Amino acid sequence: MKTFDPVQMAIPFFVLAVILEIVLARLGKANARYEAKDTAMSLTMGLGSSIAGAILGGAIFAATVWVYQHRIFTIPMTAVWAWVILFFAEDLTYYWFHRIAHERRFWWASHVNHHTSTHYNLSTALRQTWTGGVAGTWLLWLPLSFLGFPPAMVAIQKGVSLIYQFWIHTEAIKKMPPWFEAVFNTPSHHRVHHARNARYLDANYAGILIIWDRMFGTFIAETDEEKIRYGTVKNLASFNLLTNVFHEWIGIGKDVVRHPRHALGYMFGPPGWSHDGSRDTSHTLKAKWRARLEREGEKSTASEAHAAE
Amino acid sequence: MDKALLIQLLGSAVAVSLLVAIAAWARIPRPTPPLDADGARALLAVEFPDDPVDALWIAADGAGVVARSGDRALVVWRKGDGYVARDLAWSAALAAKPDKGFLRLKTADGAPRLALNDGAWPPREFA
Repeated sequence: MKTFDPVQMAIPFFVLAVILEIVLARLGKANARYEAKDTAMSLTMGLGSSIAGAILGGAIFAATVWVYQHRIFTIPMTAVWAWVILFFAEDLTYYWFHRIAHERRFWWASHVNHHTSTHYNLSTALRQTWTGGVAGTWLLWLPLSFLGFPPAMVAIQKGVSLIYQFWIHTEAIKKMPPWFEAVFNTPSHHRVHHARNARYLDANYAGILIIWDRMFGTFIAETDEEKIRYGTVKNLASFNLLTNVFHEWIGIGKDVVRHPRHALGYMFGPPGWSHDGSRDTSHTLKAKWRARLEREGEKSTASEAHAAE
Repeated sequence: MDKALLIQLLGSAVAVSLLVAIAAWARIPRPTPPLDADGARALLAVEFPDDPVDALWIAADGAGVVARSGDRALVVWRKGDGYVARDLAWSAALAAKPDKGFLRLKTADGAPRLALNDGAWPPREFA
């Protein structure tokens, strides 16, 4: 069945935008860094993600149609009000999907490869998962069809969200106007999301609207105090494509085999969770960062007092 | 396979190759000059902020660092235009055998190949 797919239509725009960012950076007109192997990894991930999506897409769409057949309401696809409600409902769904994908290891395993680039440029946006379908995150969108939004309508809105999120993967745009930064996800907000600095971890999960992060307490603003470092807490040791796709899944498997009594914790605990507390989670990393800040604050207060004497 | 899908896949593969070639042509990676002592310490401070450095050795090509922090070896090495950081037991780092002027340190998920100054390991910095 042929349906309108905004993402397919946007692919030429993605390609041109990446070329434009590279050329402008080369001419010194834009702030962007590209490393060939990193770019190759990002783009190959994007291509592979399309293939994985095509393989599982039919089954996922069939499940969505089945849920729609048992819907509560019948929402017309041609009504403007329906699109407005869906815009907010889909974006809220995306926020929770994205938050779970960062805060629970099973779903982090499928999402982590979007974050393994140590660069932040438009090619990073295309570094998409191959295993999202298997991880089952698409289940979170089923309630929309159960409510009565036609599956094609939901698919289009998901595509719109994905396209929106392309342009925010750049260092070339420093800040948007304040009103825009207050309401929408922007390059600045999303740079924070891709940071591996402890202060920025687990923040800014927004798709299109940043208001969800502000509402649910996960918003962190970009600051000039500390330069953002991109990637994951432990950057990957190689440019191996399969390592990038499967390393966290393999890590889960190894942990479950070694510690079967703690299997649930290793699968569904936060990334970095361990039964003996020997590893760091975002929570412990942030706690250590705060402790360092306090120590440094005490040191500088003491040295100021000493200087005053 | 559906012909349209095949054409789409081939087109995408060509586009990926083109973009990678343009990225390589542009030569706009992050500058990563060989590490000196200050650079190495700054890097270690970022990657291992809670671990004091007792002793430090920098690879001959400036592309890697090994530092002693108590009973652990902190290792940082260049990957592309960035760095990867791992740690391992100090005893394991000391016991590594040099081979043809290089040292391969086995960490949990990586094995950096570090250039030795005079082919000897451990270096005098760790004596």
